[in-house]
Amino acid sequence: MSADTQLLTGYDAGAARARFGGWLARAAASLPVLWLVLLLPRHADDWTNNAIFAAIYAMVGLSMNVLVGYTGQISLGQQAFLGIGALTAANVVHTGTNAPDPFTFALGIVAAVAISAGAALLLGGIALRIRGLYLALVTLVFGAVTADAIFTIPALNGNDAGVSAYRPSALQSNYSYYLFALAMVGICLYVDVWIRRSKVGRGLIALRDNELVASAYGINVLGYKLLGFVLSGAMAGLAGGVFAFWSQEFSDKDFTAAAGFNKALIFVVMVVVGGLGNRAGVVAAAAFFALIDPLLAGLAHHTGWLNYYTDHKAYISNIIGAGLLLQTVIFNPGGLGQVLRPFTRWFAGHRFSLHDDHGDAAAAALVGAGDVRA
Amino acid sequence: MSVLEVRNLTIRFGGLTAVDGLNLTVNEWEIVGLMGPNGAGKTTAFNCITGFYKADEGTVVYRGRDVTKLPPHRKAALGIGRTFQNVGMVKSETVLENLLTAQHIKAGYGALTALTGVGAVRQRERDLHAHADAILELLGLTEVRNRPLGSLSYGTLKLLELGCALATDPDLLLLDEPSSGMGPEEAHELGDRLLALRKELGVTMLLIEHHVPLVAAVCDYVYVLNFGKLLAEGDPDHVRSHPEVVAAYLGGEAPEALAETEVPAEQAEVAVATPAAAPTRSGGRGRRRKESA
Amino acid sequence: MHELAGSFSTQINLLTPIVSGIANGAAYGLLGLGLVLLYKSNRIFNFAQGEFATVAAIVAYVFDRGTGWVPKVPYFAAIAIGVATAVLVAIATERFVIRPLFHRPRVVLVVATVGVALFLMGIEGILPYPQTASLRTISDVLNVRSYAFKVDGVVALDQDLAKLGALTVLAVAAFVFFRYTATGTAILAVSQDATAARVVGISVERISMTTWAIAGLLGGVAGVLLAVPPAGSVTPGSITGLTLTVAFSAAVLGGMTSLPGAFLGGILIGLIEAFANADHSFVPGLNSLPTAQAEVAVAVVLLLILLVRPRGLLGQEA
Repeated sequence: MSADTQLLTGYDAGAARARFGGWLARAAASLPVLWLVLLLPRHADDWTNNAIFAAIYAMVGLSMNVLVGYTGQISLGQQAFLGIGALTAANVVHTGTNAPDPFTFALGIVAAVAISAGAALLLGGIALRIRGLYLALVTLVFGAVTADAIFTIPALNGNDAGVSAYRPSALQSNYSYYLFALAMVGICLYVDVWIRRSKVGRGLIALRDNELVASAYGINVLGYKLLGFVLSGAMAGLAGGVFAFWSQEFSDKDFTAAAGFNKALIFVVMVVVGGLGNRAGVVAAAAFFALIDPLLAGLAHHTGWLNYYTDHKAYISNIIGAGLLLQTVIFNPGGLGQVLRPFTRWFAGHRFSLHDDHGDAAAAALVGAGDVRA
Repeated sequence: MSVLEVRNLTIRFGGLTAVDGLNLTVNEWEIVGLMGPNGAGKTTAFNCITGFYKADEGTVVYRGRDVTKLPPHRKAALGIGRTFQNVGMVKSETVLENLLTAQHIKAGYGALTALTGVGAVRQRERDLHAHADAILELLGLTEVRNRPLGSLSYGTLKLLELGCALATDPDLLLLDEPSSGMGPEEAHELGDRLLALRKELGVTMLLIEHHVPLVAAVCDYVYVLNFGKLLAEGDPDHVRSHPEVVAAYLGGEAPEALAETEVPAEQAEVAVATPAAAPTRSGGRGRRRKESA
Repeated sequence: MHELAGSFSTQINLLTPIVSGIANGAAYGLLGLGLVLLYKSNRIFNFAQGEFATVAAIVAYVFDRGTGWVPKVPYFAAIAIGVATAVLVAIATERFVIRPLFHRPRVVLVVATVGVALFLMGIEGILPYPQTASLRTISDVLNVRSYAFKVDGVVALDQDLAKLGALTVLAVAAFVFFRYTATGTAILAVSQDATAARVVGISVERISMTTWAIAGLLGGVAGVLLAVPPAGSVTPGSITGLTLTVAFSAAVLGGMTSLPGAFLGGILIGLIEAFANADHSFVPGLNSLPTAQAEVAVAVVLLLILLVRPRGLLGQEA
C-alpha cells in the first residue's frame, strides 16, 4: 500500500543500542569532558569564578530553550527573569554582612524560582493575546521596563547601593559554590529531560507547530502556553538566585539600560546559535558566550593586545556573537546542536553517524528552512 | 440516543452564510457521509462541530450532551476525534512522536508530575509507546516508526493521520476527505480499512468525501450540502442520482441533469430535505453487512 | 475669578510638557518612519534601524571634525556623507542578510536584524573616535545664537524644530511616495506577494534594495538630527538602547503599516512620556524616578492599545 516509503538514508534512529563494550568506550570518552567540567575549575580559582558564570548562563539558555525552542514563543526580555530571581533571592535572604543559615538560603533560592515563575505567568497571559512580532516587541519592553522600574526601587535595591547576598558558610569557597551551581544546572537538565520525554514537551512542541492540530489532540493550548512561560521563568529565576550569590550582591546596574539590553540580545543569540530545541547545543553555546570574555582576555594577555582588548571587549564579543548568529541563521539553522548531535546521540548509546534525519528535520522545521515534503 | 445530533447549525462570516440551518444525525456505529461541491460548507460545519468555529445559531449535541460551546480540546477529551483536509500533524516530529502526542488525553499523569520523572510517569510512557506500536501495526506502518514526517509519501501521511486520530481514542471520528490524493485502488483499500476499524474498534464516523464509489461502499447514510444548505439526504445510491445533487456537482438545472442520468424520474426515490420525508435508516450495521447477511 | 486665574497657570504648566513631548516625539517619529517602511515592505521589525542612525552620526562627526586621515569637510557635506553611509550599510544588510533569508519565517529575519544591530555596534565600537562626543547642532554651524522660542517661559530649541520639520517633510514624502509613485506601489506589491509581483515584471531584487536604501536614508537623517546635545551622542548603541524601544512602541501605537501612524505615534508617545514625567504623577512611589515613570506609562499604554486594538490606532492589519 502506501507504506512504500522512500528511504532517504539507511540510518534509523531507533536502531539497537550499544552493548557493554560500547558503553565502556563511551565512559572513557566522557572522562575528558568530566575533567573539564569538574576538575579544571578546581585548579584555578579565577576559572572557577568564570565556570560559575557559565553555569548560570547555561540555566538561562535552558530557560530560553523551553520558551523559544519548545513553545515557539519569542523573548527579548529574558534578563528580566534573571534579575527578578536575583532580586528576590537577595532581598529574601537579606542578612546584611552575615552569612545566612542554610535554611534561609534555600528559602531565598526557592522564592527566586517562585516569583520569577509568577512574573513569567503574567507575561504569558499577555502572550495569549498578542502574537508573533508584536509579542517580541512586548517582551522587549517588558524586559526594559521591569529593570528600569522595579529593580531601581530603593526599597528593593538597597537604596541604589545594591543588596548584599552572602553565601552560607558551607558554600563560601568558589569551588564549593561551583558545585552547587552545577547541581542547579543538573536540576534544570533533569526537568528538561522530563519535559521532552513526557506529554509536556510533546504538548508544547505540538502547539508551536500547529495549534489547531494540538487542540484536536486534546491539548489545552492556552494552558500549555502559560506552562511554557512558567517553566522558562522558573529556570531563569533559579539562574538569578545563583547569580545573586555568585556576585554576592544584587545591583540593578547589571540589568538596566545598556547592560540589560546587551544581556537580552546575548540570550537570544545564545539559544539560536546553540540550536533551538537542542539541549546540548544550547548549554554549549551558553557556556561559550559566558566564557568568551575571559578566554579572549587570556589570549590578549599573551599576545600583548590586552589594553586594546580591555577597552573594547564588549564590542569584540558583540562582533563575534553577531557573526555567529548570522552564520547560524543563514547557513546552519540547526546551530551548534546540529554539529554536536552525532556526538550526543553516540553518548546516548546509538551508533555514531554523521547523518541524522530527525535532528536536521526538526531544526530546519524550527527555523522554517524548508517545507516538509508531503 | 444518537451519537451526534446537529440541529439548525448556522455559521456566518460577515455577510456570508457558510452553513445555513444544517440538521444532521449520526447514530451509533454508523458511517455517515457529508458531500457537496467545493465551498458548500462541509469543512466549515466540521470545524464548528469540533469547536474551531463558533456557531451563530443551532446546537451540537454529543450523546445527549450539548457541546456547542466547548473548545476543541475539551471535545477531543470527550471522544470526538478528527482529521484535517491538508494532513494536520506535528510536522517537525517523527511518526512515533506524533502518535505519542496524539495520546495526550490518555497520558494518565498530570503535567507537573511529569516533570518529576517518577516511576508512575515512566510506566505510563511505556504504555503509551506500546499503544503507539499497536496502532502502527494495525495500519501496517511499523516500518516508518522512527522516520521524520518529511521523508514520507503523501499516502503514508494520510494513513498516519488516521492513526493519530485513532490514538486519541475517539468515540466519534470526523474525517475530512480521507481519500483525497488517492487513486481508485488506494481509495478502495481505505474503504475496507474504515469498515474494519468500525468492526474492530466500534468507532462511529462522519466523513466528508468526494469519492463517490467510496461513499457508496462505506456509508450508511449521506447528507448533501450546497451553498451551506442541506440539499438532500438518504441512502448513498439514491442520493447520488438525485437530479438536484447531480446538478449541484455538474452545474445546470435539475431537469437537464436528470435527463443526463439513466434513472427515470419516478424511480429516483429520494428524500427531499425535510425530516418527515426521510427514509428509514438501515441501522448502524452498514450496507455491506446487510448484503452479506 | 479665582478659577480663571487657576486655569491660566495650569495652561502654562501644560505647555512645557507639550513642547518637550512634541520635540522628543519628533525623534521617535523619525525612527518610526523607517521601522514602518520596513514593516510594510518586509513584514519584519528592523532592530538595526537605530544603528543605521548611529552610523550616519558617527561618519558625519568624523568628517565634520576631520580626525586622522579623514579630511575635514563643511558641515552639510559631512551630514550628506553620513547619511550616504547609512544608505550603503542598509543596502549591504539587504544584500547579505535579508536576501538569503527572504522566504524564511519572519521571526528568523527579526533575529537576523538583531544580529546586524549587534554587529554594527561592535564595528562602531572598535573604530578610533571619541565615543562620548556629540554632533554639532545646526545652530552651532550657522553660527547664530540658538533661536529659542519663548512662549510664556517655555523654551523650544531650534534643533527640535528641525526634527519636527524633518519628520513632517519625510512623513508626507513617504506617504505621497507610496500612494502615487510606481516604485512605491511596486514595493507594496512585493510585500504582499513577491511571486506575483515578479510575474508582472517587477524586479523583486531591485525593489528590495530600494526599500532598504530608503530605510537607510530615513535612519541616517534621524541619526544626524538626534546625535546632538544635550541628550544625544555618537556612542555606539545609544540610539538603539535609548530610543528603539520607544520608537517601536510609537510605530505599533500608530499602526505598523501606517506612515501617518508613525508620525502620530511618535508625537503621542512623546507627549505621554512628557506628561508622565511632569509633576502630575499618577503612580505614587515612583516619583523619584522620572525615567521609570515615563517608561511604565509608555509600556502600559502600548500594552492596552495592543490588547484592545492589535493593529494600532491607524494600522490596517493585526
